[in-house]
Amino acid sequence: MNKNPRPLLGIRKLRKQFGSEMLLDIDHLDLFAGQAALLKGRNGAGKTTLMRIIAGLEKYNQGTFILDGEGVQHGRHGPQSNHVIYLHQCPFLFDTSVLDNLAYGLKCRKMDRKQRDRKVAEALRWSGLEHLAERNAKTLSGGEKQRIALARAWVLQPSLLLLDEPTANMDAESREQTSFLIRRLINEGMGIVICSHEIKGDNSLIDRVLHLEQGAILDSHNLKPIDGLMGKITPLAKEG
Amino acid sequence: MTDLAQTTAEAMSLLMSGDERLWSIIQVSFSTTVKAILLAIPPAFLIGFLLSICRFPGRWMLISMFNTLLSVPTVVVGLLLYLLLSRSGPLGDLHLLFSQTAMVIGQMLLAFPLLVAMSLSAFRAADRNAWETARTLGAGPFRALTTLMYEVRFGLAAAGIASYGRIISEVGCSMMIGGNIMNHTRNIPTAIALETSKGEFAQGIALGMVLLVLALGLNFFVSLMQRRGEITT
Repeated sequence: MNKNPRPLLGIRKLRKQFGSEMLLDIDHLDLFAGQAALLKGRNGAGKTTLMRIIAGLEKYNQGTFILDGEGVQHGRHGPQSNHVIYLHQCPFLFDTSVLDNLAYGLKCRKMDRKQRDRKVAEALRWSGLEHLAERNAKTLSGGEKQRIALARAWVLQPSLLLLDEPTANMDAESREQTSFLIRRLINEGMGIVICSHEIKGDNSLIDRVLHLEQGAILDSHNLKPIDGLMGKITPLAKEG
Repeated sequence: MTDLAQTTAEAMSLLMSGDERLWSIIQVSFSTTVKAILLAIPPAFLIGFLLSICRFPGRWMLISMFNTLLSVPTVVVGLLLYLLLSRSGPLGDLHLLFSQTAMVIGQMLLAFPLLVAMSLSAFRAADRNAWETARTLGAGPFRALTTLMYEVRFGLAAAGIASYGRIISEVGCSMMIGGNIMNHTRNIPTAIALETSKGEFAQGIALGMVLLVLALGLNFFVSLMQRRGEITT
């Protein structure tokens, strides 16, 4: 069950076209705080585009977003930036130290230095990468970069974290370490949407499975839009 | 060969002796070019950035225009400014002709297209995820832009240095709108042209040496920055 009955983010009548092709046509989708949703769909179905739209990084043709109960029509880089963080498939770390990368979002929020340093130290401990604190982030391996990117998001405590293929192109060990941090995020109650081919829908940590097909969100079991054509998603009970 | 060596020795002597006229020329050169480059960089980099991320009708025309302006001869820029700033010109009332301000304006116009074109290339080469990551982590547009600029700092430094090289060594524009007035608008290139025409090679060589040392210093600085970047990454 969703832990918070009031949706963190509601999406109404979202339309996204590429030329004449309708990529996304979602009438109703609610995302809840503290809920882990797995976004599935074939390659090119629009999973990444949907996540980027939610994060305010991509334009869309039509739609309304309801944030904390208030309707907002936002364009790119909408008002969600303080609530929603999107992590690219290949996370980008700035050309500076790991510490500075972790502190970046806190600096943007004008947190004072003492508090910032404490939070950054916590984030390093949380990720288990304290030994990399002074390293230039560009020199890290793919798995280490992903873990630092997760810690950089974690330290900001967003309401919703959007993870785009977080374990793609990783060796088994890095994948396990990254999955461990994602499990921690879910257990800590952060709202998460994961787009991944490697995480299964029956994973015990997943609250909902959102199946994106032909632009609409479908129930993962019967592959029909929930609530008829309006496509309303009823959060699934936690499986397992 | 002996003449060249002798003239070079005289040039060195002139530089070392602190010749007032010589150092006045150097001071005018540096004063105008530094002002011009510092004033031109912010708007040029901003335009380069906007052209790299914004899609709007006429964008390619604008990019083509800046690329075309790269090859406009300095003397043509000087001529246009002369017509604008001369007494009978539309900006004649400003009384800027044959002043250092006019030289600064001319040098800004010369540096601007190069700064835009090279910064556009640098921003295009940047990872788009850098901008998006900054924004999704809560950076405002200005902070995200400065973050992106830091990521492409070597490309932007190269743009600044190439543009500075263009304006400190140009003769045509400075000669036309500066007037080559001693202690006022005579800079290194116009002085070299004048002294050479008079057969005073020593001063020309001395000033040429200043330009060469400057070019060497700037390139050394860029190489050092790039090397430090390679070491840390």
